Amino acid sequence: MISSPALMIEARAVEKWYPNGFHALRGVDLYVHQGEVVVIMGPSGSGKSTFLRTFNALEDFQKGSIVVDGIEISNDLRRIDAIRREVGMVFQQFNLFPHLTVLDNLTLAPVKVRKRPKAEVERQALDLLERVGIVEQAHKFPGQLSGGQQQRVAIARSLCMEPRIMLFDEPTSALDPEMVQEVLAVMQELAREGMTMVVVSHEVRFARQVASRVVLMADGEVVEVAPPQQFFNNPQHERSKQFLSQIS
Amino acid sequence: MASTAPLVVQASLLRRLQKELFGSRVDGLLSIALLAALLAAGLGFFRWALFQAQWAVLGANSTLFAVGRYPVEQQWRLWLLIGLLALATGLSWGLLRAFPGSGGVRALWPRNDHWAAAILAVLALWLPMALHLTPAIKVRWWGIFALLLLARWAAGRYGKAIPQTYRRLFPLLWPLLYLVGMVLISGGLGLVQVPPSEWGGLLLTVLMATFAILLCFPLGVLLALGRRSELPLLRWGSVIYIEFIRGAPLITLLFLGQNILGFLLPGGFSPDRVWRAAWVLTFFAAAYVAEAVRSGLVAVPAGQLEAARSLGLPMPLALVHVVLPQALRVALPATVGQFISLLQDTTLLSLVGLLDLLGTARTVMANPMFLGKNAEVYLVLAILFWSCCVALGLGSRGLETRLNPHSPSAQKA
Ligand SMILES: Nc1ncnc2c1ncn2[C@@H]1O[C@H](COP(=O)(O)OP(=O)(O)O)[C@@H](O)[C@H]1O
Ligand SMILES: [Mg+2]
Repeated sequence: MISSPALMIEARAVEKWYPNGFHALRGVDLYVHQGEVVVIMGPSGSGKSTFLRTFNALEDFQKGSIVVDGIEISNDLRRIDAIRREVGMVFQQFNLFPHLTVLDNLTLAPVKVRKRPKAEVERQALDLLERVGIVEQAHKFPGQLSGGQQQRVAIARSLCMEPRIMLFDEPTSALDPEMVQEVLAVMQELAREGMTMVVVSHEVRFARQVASRVVLMADGEVVEVAPPQQFFNNPQHERSKQFLSQIS
Repeated sequence: MASTAPLVVQASLLRRLQKELFGSRVDGLLSIALLAALLAAGLGFFRWALFQAQWAVLGANSTLFAVGRYPVEQQWRLWLLIGLLALATGLSWGLLRAFPGSGGVRALWPRNDHWAAAILAVLALWLPMALHLTPAIKVRWWGIFALLLLARWAAGRYGKAIPQTYRRLFPLLWPLLYLVGMVLISGGLGLVQVPPSEWGGLLLTVLMATFAILLCFPLGVLLALGRRSELPLLRWGSVIYIEFIRGAPLITLLFLGQNILGFLLPGGFSPDRVWRAAWVLTFFAAAYVAEAVRSGLVAVPAGQLEAARSLGLPMPLALVHVVLPQALRVALPATVGQFISLLQDTTLLSLVGLLDLLGTARTVMANPMFLGKNAEVYLVLAILFWSCCVALGLGSRGLETRLNPHSPSAQKA
């Protein structure tokens, strides 16, 4: 890389305590450049979700600093809303809005937040649904779809806001095995198009094929950061070896 | 399959009845004894209702029961209002059938509507006769009924031809009509003032109930949101309010309102006795509605708000478009339950000296001419309240199915 791409996420020495006093993040750093796909792995309870959710201010933190797409996260509510418009998030449990049709799930935020004309947003939404392969379900309700279809709708819903960064928190963990692939394929396609992505996931094959770097977290700290080939074939840290032996 | 289903249900119902009522010899004897007792009571009731009861007390006081001491020369305003209400009801009913939501029945005259129209027809034709109303008033009621059916038919038949932009505005007709109704009832805008102290009977009861229902709902939603707010002042304020109101009996609050509001506000601003009672009813019901709505808010998973917020929706938009629609759907039955209690609670107004339906009834029964006619009057009052509550309940059920055609339970079936 000759001129290094822009820094999209810059987290420095982030520390977080939950209200009950639990020290969930103990000084973690992460730098994500434009177009990178960073996969975060680590045992359950190691703070992966907590860390990911600080990037769009769904969780607050007490020490350190996070800059997302040039905006520093602070308590300023307007800035937080500005960041959230640029950062899409996909949840383990999909979190689609059950009272709205698939199409309305996609158009709600662009129409209400970006104030774009409804007809135009609907055209874009149908395009997106076409891309994730479920345009024929546009007028159904989320409860009528399979898990894999719901997660693809959730991805399309985030994309409809035209975010510059996408966060995924274990997007395939709640899916039946036969549906995992259809969701990973959509994510892979997204990465190929150059989307900046941070993905919490234990899908080794996906990480090997798509990740720019793999991050291993344990006990609220980042243990190892490495390109996927190195991370899976030749992990440097004892904790990484231990984790890899558990998931394979 | 579909056509035999009701038969199967009936057969199994008969079998179940047989099993539950006559399962053993003791059961059988008990059932027979109970049925006999019920039959005797029913016969006794009908003998009383048909041969002993003197229903003249109702016909003779029908105006009093309907509007209290509302000045006779101004009553045309109320007739006009009833006509407008019938028109709006007919139009809404017809449009609901023309555009039956995604879960509704797709027929212009579904069977339920035959029943509703038939019951209305019997009431409209028979009640004025039974009450021995004057011919002029009888004709008015028949005209109003005809207007309702005509509007129902026209809206159902031609509703589809109305451009969508106008149709969207149609629900606004009701709040508008409410304001028009208030002006018609109380005066102003060139009409002679009729002070609230002259309203009475069914008019006062319905007015109090609708006023309190309409206002306690938004207030209750705000209180429920306040109770879950992250701002301590708002949260504690809501909690204290809700718990204080729920801890006090309504009748004490009504008396308190009658006495205290007069001291709190400077003379000219102190609302009239009737309005004082209306506000107390509203504030009282709001606390209970808040609890119903809170149970709905609890039922919405935290992930819904997180998803909405992560899409960049600010808190108010996230609440309005994502959280509240789901929460209110859950809270609807409990909320309507509160409305029903509220309607019944309006009878307490008679205890603070207002002439609502019950208050009017008590003045009528105190009249030497109608001494000893308590049973007749109370029975009719009970039936009146009962029908209002049933109507509210049916409306809420209809709303539920209309709002909820795609609930998870509906899909699995
Ligand atoms: N709201 C909370 N209050 C207190 N502790 C929490 C809360 N949420 C998560 N934790 C704790 O923080 C740690 C990290 O959680 P999380 O980030 O969800 O882990 P991961 O996603 O890696 O499984 C866990 O030990 C969890 O029990
Ligand atoms: Mg997690």
